[in-house]
Amino acid sequence: MESLFTRYRNLVVLLALLLIQLVGLAIQVRRTTSGTSTLGDTDPKGVRLIRLWANAVISPPERLVHWSATGMSTTWSNYIDLVHVREQNKDLKQTVGRLRLEQAALLEDARQGQRLQAMLGFQQKYIYSTLAAQVYGSSGSDRSHVFYIDKGWHEGLRPDMAVITAEGIVGKVRDVFSHTAQVLAINDTTSGAGVILETTRIRGILRGDVLGQLEVVGVTADQRIQPGDHVLTAGGDLIFPRGLPVGVVKKVVRDPDRDGLVDIILTPAAPLDRLDEVLVITSTEPRFSPQQQDDLSKSAEEQAAVPAAIKDQVKASEIMAEKLPGLLDPNLPPDQQPLNDSTNPTVAPPPPKPLHPDEFSASNNDNSGAPPDAGSANHSSSTPASPATPSTKQKPQTTPPRNP
Amino acid sequence: MSVLGAESRRDREIRRYPLLVYTLVPLGALVLQAWLPRVAGRYEWFDLPLVITVFFALSRRNPLQGSVMGAVMGLFEDALSHNAIGINGIAKTAAGFLAGSVGIRIDVDNHLIRVLLTFALSLVSSGVYLFVARFLLGLPVDWSWLMELLRAAGNGVIALVLFPLLDRLQVRD
Repeated sequence: MESLFTRYRNLVVLLALLLIQLVGLAIQVRRTTSGTSTLGDTDPKGVRLIRLWANAVISPPERLVHWSATGMSTTWSNYIDLVHVREQNKDLKQTVGRLRLEQAALLEDARQGQRLQAMLGFQQKYIYSTLAAQVYGSSGSDRSHVFYIDKGWHEGLRPDMAVITAEGIVGKVRDVFSHTAQVLAINDTTSGAGVILETTRIRGILRGDVLGQLEVVGVTADQRIQPGDHVLTAGGDLIFPRGLPVGVVKKVVRDPDRDGLVDIILTPAAPLDRLDEVLVITSTEPRFSPQQQDDLSKSAEEQAAVPAAIKDQVKASEIMAEKLPGLLDPNLPPDQQPLNDSTNPTVAPPPPKPLHPDEFSASNNDNSGAPPDAGSANHSSSTPASPATPSTKQKPQTTPPRNP
Repeated sequence: MSVLGAESRRDREIRRYPLLVYTLVPLGALVLQAWLPRVAGRYEWFDLPLVITVFFALSRRNPLQGSVMGAVMGLFEDALSHNAIGINGIAKTAAGFLAGSVGIRIDVDNHLIRVLLTFALSLVSSGVYLFVARFLLGLPVDWSWLMELLRAAGNGVIALVLFPLLDRLQVRD
């Protein structure tokens, strides 16, 4: 037996290694109800522990390499490569002045927009608390578009937080360690985000393809979708807030799997393959400046004033309704309804009787017996009862047949 | 290119390296593989852990060591990604085993042979990865053989430059 193991030692070790890893894979992969296999949203404890160890081993030297490279780059760009800096500084000062003017105008628009949104009850969560983080590494494989940032659990990061840059969205936090975190980029094949085309308002699902390109999949073919259209987050995925830039339409291709649908290939707004600094949205609760808070409180007061005015109007109408008699009162029996009240002074008087009644006159069928002229002269005072009263109820008229 | 028999190949010298090289070179490969894509951008057509696995398996001419080295490197790569842990491990275990087995039978002192072997084993590793992920586990895997060919070519180029440098680290009697 010993000689057999010695003879096939290499093969036995190979099979043992393969078997152990296969068992580990079988634990991680789950079968869905639709019959397809998938990985769970969260790793099992053992798998998470392995990721934690790997991160603990690789992360420190990786950060050291990143720090060294950044330091060398900073030294070069800040102290050596200073050609044309004065000209650039002058241009930048001019740009800052121009942007200040634009900012003042935009701030006024923003205040107006906040007031309107508050009044309409659509207060958007578009001011966030963010945390800046440095990207220091990646998975190292184009089959897994994830990268690592130097902020983690102790800095307040949690899974599923959105990661953005000034240019656009980048990804979401997937796994959080003590001082580092793994971010799943939006161009990974397993990622997903709800997006909307800015001009056509067509919605779709954003994901990555095998080449690491961004694509909006499963969109109904529409000739209005043109290259250059901007794509924004739709805000329905509970990860990314609404209205953040995603990218620009690069081209539209037919969906190979489904007829009538197209895939929209995007140029990402953020440089996904060369990220340095990112912002993690740690909270979507509004965080306004004192001036903005003042604006919002004014908006809230105005918003509160509207229902109060409506309530006052309703109250006044109720008071009026109490004073005015109604035709039907649900609290009274039928014979005491205001409609049947002959003393009601507001009931409209019946029409006067004709001076020369004919066969079509209602007075012909009237059994009051009073002469037409006398009846008509004293009708309003002698017979004040409503035509609807039983005593004065008219019989149905029958029109005699006419002979030609 | 000289192809020799198994008996004569076993008699050849097995290269040995300091323990520090066995530790730091794989660690450096893993760190650089994780860091370099930030510099290379989308042109990450290389797999340094696989190149190092093939190098040590060929140099040691030992399938067992090649398998273990491949398994460790692959598991580390899987752990750093968000994919299931073990797919890369199995692929690189197979590649390391094959490299060690081939190292017994083929003269691996020739740089061209080592480069070609690295290219071929890269494709084998990719094939095993695809087989395990898509057919064994049934995972929805997008695949591009063009990317795999480019990666294999990149590994070959890296092997061409890196193997002579690593050869200098071996312990000489």
